[in-house]
Amino acid sequence: MSQYSVESLERPLDVTPWKKRSPNFRYIIIATALIPILVSFAASTVLEISGAGILLIVFLPLQLSAAAIAAVVTRGRRGVADSQLNVLVYFATFFVVIMLGSIIFSIISWGLKAVSPHFIYQNNVYITPTTSLEYGGAGHALIGSLLVVGLATLIAVPLGLAVAVYLTETRGRFKGPVRFLAQSMSGLPSIVAGLFVYALFIATGTVNLAGWLGSLALALLMLPTVVRMSEEVLKLVPGDLRSAALALGAPQRRTFFQVIMPTAKAGLITAILLGVARVVGETAPLLLTTRLMSETSVNPFYGDLATLPTFIFSNLTAGFDTGRARAWAAAFLLLAVVGLIFGATRALTSQKVK
Amino acid sequence: MNTRQVAKGDRAFFAVSTAAAMFTMFLVLAVLVFLSIKSWSTFSQQGLAFVTGSTWDNTTEQGTFQIWPMLVGTIVVSILGLIIAVPASIAVAFFIEFMAPPKVARIATSLVDLLAALPSVVVGIWGIFVLSPVAATWSQSLSGTLSFIPFFRNEFSNAEGAPFIAAWTIAVMIIPIITSVSREVMGRVDKDLISAATALGSTSFSNMRRIVVPTAKSGILGGILLGLGRALGETVAIFFVLNLVFEVNLFRPLEPKGGNVASLIIAKFGEATPEELNALMAAGVVLFVMTLIVNMIATSIVQRSERRMAS
Repeated sequence: MSQYSVESLERPLDVTPWKKRSPNFRYIIIATALIPILVSFAASTVLEISGAGILLIVFLPLQLSAAAIAAVVTRGRRGVADSQLNVLVYFATFFVVIMLGSIIFSIISWGLKAVSPHFIYQNNVYITPTTSLEYGGAGHALIGSLLVVGLATLIAVPLGLAVAVYLTETRGRFKGPVRFLAQSMSGLPSIVAGLFVYALFIATGTVNLAGWLGSLALALLMLPTVVRMSEEVLKLVPGDLRSAALALGAPQRRTFFQVIMPTAKAGLITAILLGVARVVGETAPLLLTTRLMSETSVNPFYGDLATLPTFIFSNLTAGFDTGRARAWAAAFLLLAVVGLIFGATRALTSQKVK
Repeated sequence: MNTRQVAKGDRAFFAVSTAAAMFTMFLVLAVLVFLSIKSWSTFSQQGLAFVTGSTWDNTTEQGTFQIWPMLVGTIVVSILGLIIAVPASIAVAFFIEFMAPPKVARIATSLVDLLAALPSVVVGIWGIFVLSPVAATWSQSLSGTLSFIPFFRNEFSNAEGAPFIAAWTIAVMIIPIITSVSREVMGRVDKDLISAATALGSTSFSNMRRIVVPTAKSGILGGILLGLGRALGETVAIFFVLNLVFEVNLFRPLEPKGGNVASLIIAKFGEATPEELNALMAAGVVLFVMTLIVNMIATSIVQRSERRMAS
């Protein structure tokens, strides 16, 4: 800890924590909170700058200097840096909340306008982008998405779990490189995964576009998440359990399947769900490996297949108002799916804590 | 069950897990090798000009395929996105970890993790209909008041489709990622150290400067690089909000001329000629190598800081 040098051993004279704060300070603090907001409001009516401009040019500097003055009065010079940090952190947090809240809000408000029960179960046959919203839906895309993602899960989860076992239960020599490469793969651009599957299967002329090719690409994207999360979960299982099972004469594979896996069940399911959440909205690889159609198909191994992301994409690029409304509605469905998955993980992890 | 059976079963168990691990290592290599084989004709035909030239022409028999403007555009958008996202993410992480009441912090943490999984097509649809019009007014007021600086000049009548707006979209996508990593690293800072410093008269600013930043900085840097990797490879959201033009636009982010390798692939893929398809694969190789390098650096930084924290 030598790097944190003590600058001065004497108490700085303006630090007097035992002194009672004057009650007048309360008014100063209220004033510092109110004055910048009021001035900014006044400025926004007088000046012709956008809201963001007012916030950045008028409000922020005002609030910073007001906080600095208040800090000098209430806490002395040492409080200034603190107050600036506070203002900046709150400002940035507020800004992020607005941006991210705006996404959620606009998807819910636009989505609810177009979502209806029949949108969830009907397919898109005989529907063009200009057909009114009373007809047609994304049911076929929802089914297709579930199929493609389900198949990807079936591929990625056993593989990912086996890699996690290699990383936690064995004394393999390549643990370091495997962990490193699996982690680096988590940054694999989704489009590259799609291109890879395309180059491997479609460009060679062996097969046509089909749902399972999309699943392969998604599995590639899902694998790193599953590996990393399940490795962390398996690491949390107490070593005593392992030793106890082995001491009772259980072979290692039964120790794993009958002791370790049940112990880590909730965590492993969370790992799988996070992997699913990561890929359920992936668009780029599906654009390269599947072909959208308007009929319902339940066969991911042959022929065209609609998925929610490609449905959104094609409705957006078609460029009509009703198409856009459909895209928003489908985005709402997609967000609902992701939200459900996260709700499930929350429920699982809170159970584990109890 | 005798010992031999036990040993046999366990050997199979370990063999399967080892095979899976080797297969995963092999996958990274396989992606690189297969894409390179497919795109070899482009690399050999265009040579180094594939990366350094700026023409994309599929009308001639051989075609000329060069991606320099797209590459520049990708880097410009990612860097601008980082400039917006990094201070915001660190501030939010600091807020969650050290300033927010525990209840708020818990909710904020799960919200950030949820937003990190926000599908890019969802961000794209928001970006094109909600963000673009608003950011265009910001862009216009910037170019209106600061046009004496070349960086903020915009000689076009419209502001939508500019790298500036794509950068905001990217920032929104990577803020949750960087926040989530930074928050985790900041959470591992020794709380006793902070209490001790506070007892010695340290303020929250000096806590941050002397304790939080020195211990968490390499982890935060890793998080930033992970965000950068995501930004470089982002496809669909950028495809919607960015106007792709084959002209290098390095210093005028407010003008509606941008480039992006991943979006180029999506944009050209549908009606590509066979040679063009190979060129798109080659673009994919370049993108993959770029993101792989960034991610490898990020991973090694994060792993090293985790090891140091653990010890």
